[in-house]
Amino acid sequence: MRQIGMATALCALMGTHAVAEEFKWAGTTDPQTLDPHAVNSAPVLGFLNNVYEGLVRRGKDMTIEPALATSWEPIGEGEGWRFKLREGVTFHDGAAFDAEDVQFSYERASGEAADTRSWFSPVASLEVVDPYTIDIKTNAPNPIFPDSIANWMIVDKGWAEANAAATPNKEEGNFATLNANGTGAFKVTAREPGLRTVLEPHDGWWGEAEHNITRAEFTPIQNPATAVAALLSGDVDFINPVPIQDAARLASNPDVNVIQGIEARVIMLGFGHEAAELKYTGDAGKPNPFQDAKVRQAVAHAVNVPAILQTIMRGNAEPASQLVSPAMRGYSEANAARPAYDVEAAKALLAEAGYPDGFSFGLKCPNNRYLNDEAVCQGVVSMLAQAGITAELDAMPVQNYWPELREDNFDMYLLGWSPGTFDAEHPLRFLASTPNAEKKLGSWNFGGYSNARIDEMLPIIQSEIDDTKRQAMLDEAAEILQDEMAYVPLYVQPLVWGVRSNVEMTQRPDNFFILRWVTVN
Amino acid sequence: MSTSIGLRLRNALDSDFAYLFLRSPVAVLSAFVVIVLVLAAIFAPLISPQDPFNPIELNLMNGFTPPGTPNAFTGESFWLGTDDQGRDVFSTILHGMRISLFVGVSAVSFALLLGVTLGLLAGYVGGWTDTIIMRVADVQLTFPAILVAMLIFGIAKGITPVEYRDQMAIWVLILAIGLSDWVQFARVVRGATLVEKGREYVQAAQLIGRRPGAIMLRHILPNVLSPVLVIATISLALAIIAEATLSFLGVGAPPTQPSLGTLIRIGQGFLFSGEWWILLFPSLTLLALALSVNLLGDWLRDALNPRLK
Amino acid sequence: MLAYILRRAAQSVLVLLVVGLIAFSMFRFIGDPIDNMLGQEAQQEDIDRLRTELGLDAPLLVQYVRFLSSAVQGDFGVSYGQGRPVADILAERAPATLELALVSGTLAISFGIVFGVFTAIRRNGFAAQAIMSLSLIGVSLPTFLIGILLIYVFSVELGWLPSFGRGETVELGWWTTGFATRSGLLALILPSITLGLYQMTLIMRLVRSEMLEVLRQDYIRFARARGLRTRTVYFRHALVNTLVPVTTVIGLQLGSIIAFGIVTETVFQWPGLGLLFVNAIQFVDIPVMAAYLMLISVMFVLINLFVDVLYFFIDPRLRVDRSEASA
Repeated sequence: MRQIGMATALCALMGTHAVAEEFKWAGTTDPQTLDPHAVNSAPVLGFLNNVYEGLVRRGKDMTIEPALATSWEPIGEGEGWRFKLREGVTFHDGAAFDAEDVQFSYERASGEAADTRSWFSPVASLEVVDPYTIDIKTNAPNPIFPDSIANWMIVDKGWAEANAAATPNKEEGNFATLNANGTGAFKVTAREPGLRTVLEPHDGWWGEAEHNITRAEFTPIQNPATAVAALLSGDVDFINPVPIQDAARLASNPDVNVIQGIEARVIMLGFGHEAAELKYTGDAGKPNPFQDAKVRQAVAHAVNVPAILQTIMRGNAEPASQLVSPAMRGYSEANAARPAYDVEAAKALLAEAGYPDGFSFGLKCPNNRYLNDEAVCQGVVSMLAQAGITAELDAMPVQNYWPELREDNFDMYLLGWSPGTFDAEHPLRFLASTPNAEKKLGSWNFGGYSNARIDEMLPIIQSEIDDTKRQAMLDEAAEILQDEMAYVPLYVQPLVWGVRSNVEMTQRPDNFFILRWVTVN
Repeated sequence: MSTSIGLRLRNALDSDFAYLFLRSPVAVLSAFVVIVLVLAAIFAPLISPQDPFNPIELNLMNGFTPPGTPNAFTGESFWLGTDDQGRDVFSTILHGMRISLFVGVSAVSFALLLGVTLGLLAGYVGGWTDTIIMRVADVQLTFPAILVAMLIFGIAKGITPVEYRDQMAIWVLILAIGLSDWVQFARVVRGATLVEKGREYVQAAQLIGRRPGAIMLRHILPNVLSPVLVIATISLALAIIAEATLSFLGVGAPPTQPSLGTLIRIGQGFLFSGEWWILLFPSLTLLALALSVNLLGDWLRDALNPRLK
Repeated sequence: MLAYILRRAAQSVLVLLVVGLIAFSMFRFIGDPIDNMLGQEAQQEDIDRLRTELGLDAPLLVQYVRFLSSAVQGDFGVSYGQGRPVADILAERAPATLELALVSGTLAISFGIVFGVFTAIRRNGFAAQAIMSLSLIGVSLPTFLIGILLIYVFSVELGWLPSFGRGETVELGWWTTGFATRSGLLALILPSITLGLYQMTLIMRLVRSEMLEVLRQDYIRFARARGLRTRTVYFRHALVNTLVPVTTVIGLQLGSIIAFGIVTETVFQWPGLGLLFVNAIQFVDIPVMAAYLMLISVMFVLINLFVDVLYFFIDPRLRVDRSEASA
């Protein structure tokens, strides 16, 4: 009896803070800056979520929960939102947090130099009510506004101004590029860009620590095989991502665990809707068959998605039926079925469209952007060949890929999309709206897909407060896109993390690694 | 004192070339391996059970079939297994070798021709010719092969009509590897030419009024060939390997028409996942090819060098 | 001699200018940095503004002149990827690359010459044949594969050596060294073998081939006939006379060890200049790429100069040529 008591006490002692635990992890890309407003990209925001905090944050299941704001409520009939701020919060350098910092961070993050300013396009103004209350007024009713600012991180006004970092600077860099001063659970104690970044717990953090880490070090490792070797040999405790093909082998290793999940990113095929003619291969100059919805549907039937998932993805991914994954808000349950793999149906549709003998065209593909992207494209090429259409694959690194797409150099292309707001409205705005630079619509709609009904519905969806009405419109949009097969959604990209078996952690669907959920045993 | 290569070769063939060859088991074995591999590469379309470059013949469900075991879904069986695209590894090796050999031989020939010519000129003519050539060589050396490849790739992309893009990658590789390789030849030939130029036989030839071109070709060239042969031997094997490295860095042969090097690059992704055959068989083939070419080159050098007999 | 060096220096400046121009003209083929610097929600106006701010909309020559005029003042600009001065980044990364190059270069030269002489002297011996064949296996596989296989065997399976990085380093002023710690030294082993293997084989084969050639020549026979000790003949007479081509190649290879360490550094995540360069290509970090290429050119030019000067001392016959040429 006494012995058990002793053991329990010992466990309790070791459980949380008593033992110094050093944690090392590796990822493919180094965050290019520590400035939370300079670059709106997943590697930067994901990393900085450990250091900085927003008014709200996402929990383990992606739900919005209080962070620097303790509560929030709509003002009037959709005029905006009122946030009550948390008291007694300090930044890493000891300065106190209040409404002034929020206002400063709003101006900083929505200014011209900030890459995050698109988050604030619905915002009319931010007003400080008292040191711990702020009002954010929106141009139109905005039901999802609190959801959309989870990555808007609060910077200390005094610190930024004292260090000449009042505005972000992407081109030249400034103090905030290499240093950080947030309110988050961890502070940056060493930063060598491209090599390593060291984090240590913030003693004055307002929250209850769930982790037992005393020091954490991040190293970027580009070569996937090297990262796997580092995990297997114990040189690091965690790698993200694990190459999909290695997941099963790693899982069977007693020293290593594999954490799998589904990411928010949908991988799809896009078409040159606007182009009158094909641009590649021997059929270049001939009328563009992809303008015909039947041809696009034929493509959807010809691609054997289950086979891609079975072999290239090794059973780790889920098929996709629409531009967002089922985990996203506004997913259309009514359109959950994707076109079946059916070569005969594809051939019939092609014949119906006037291409009984098929045609040939160019397929553009990145080779270092999405998991196994090049292999997937190769698979797509051979599947389309079975249906009688010949794709010539041109795969390239992502730094050449986007300029190529922007210049409309494709007949068909591969694209992955992860909605920053975790809402189905996001891809409608970026991928399905008729491109319009002035209204900032359709900026990633490279093929120039255009549908009047979708253009008409988008602003209504954006301001609809009633969830049922909003969902009805999102369902309609999903149905239109599926009928017209504007894009062929293929699958939802998997998340595969590898950890040493003595480490426990939680994987969030947005692929953000949250250090405060890590326990080293 | 000096004889032309042609004469030397003829002498060797007449007298003891064949004898020397047959007496060296290493040479016979290497030659045998090289010939088998080259023939296999040439007749790949006839020998290989599948055309791995033709997407219609591929079935993704055949992916990752282990060697000699029937696939769980399709029941098909492959002697050396299949890769991630369901391609027969044996067929991809044969076709890949074709591309690798073509790239290697073309790139080295290009580098050798360019390098030896410029090296001879620089060493023999001297003065400004020398300065310009060697400074161009300096510029060339500065650019890592990967960058040369990317540059040529970019330019080629801009100027080739879209329908020729497919074949473009191969020519880009040849040009890039050849261009990053010629400096070696040029520098060694120049160094050796400088030495030979001071020798009496060259001065004698100059005195009797032979033209510089003739002196370079007939007198100096044969005497600087020994180091050139060493480099060319290694270069051939190396060009094939360089192509693999470029593939690793992202500018190699397209994965839809993989060379041996691209196959290895693809295969190394499966080192930890248990599909060892995707990496092992192409690597062994490359090893056998490069090793025999090198060994054969070693022997050839000794045999062609009259002073070593 | 001095006049010769001065003239070479002047030519070198020209070389650097040409390298810079070529480098600049090719950057646009590598990709567009803008996409890496802006997030997915950026609009066309943001893209255009950033392009103007970076000066990327200016004509190529203007960009080049801008780069040059600040470069001569020691300012290589600010990295797009890291947002801090490129000069700082280069200084930070150089020690890792130089230490790796030093170790692998030393390995390559010492083993290369020793094995080369040995295989030439014992031309038909079993050990010599074995060394020749084994060394060939090492160069018959691509570097990245050798690196990954070494990691697989020595880090993953045996657990003897670290799989990536430099281990613990010690700061000596602005220099960081891995020579001072156990983990730093262990971390050097696999990358330097990977990087040095090919150079070693090349040097070994060249030394062997030159030695065989020289050993056949009359003055060696005379030396032997005069009754000099075998070792003296081999090392004082034969080896020294193989040094012209060997020095050329060693000089070239030393440069390429640094320039082509790119692959080794990528495989081992070695925090040096090569890795920096690969990252810069992926990010289209033009200032870093430009400065790296300039740095490598300076280095090559110096090495070439050094090799040429060395020729002077090794082979007296060349002096005549040179003095005639410069007269």
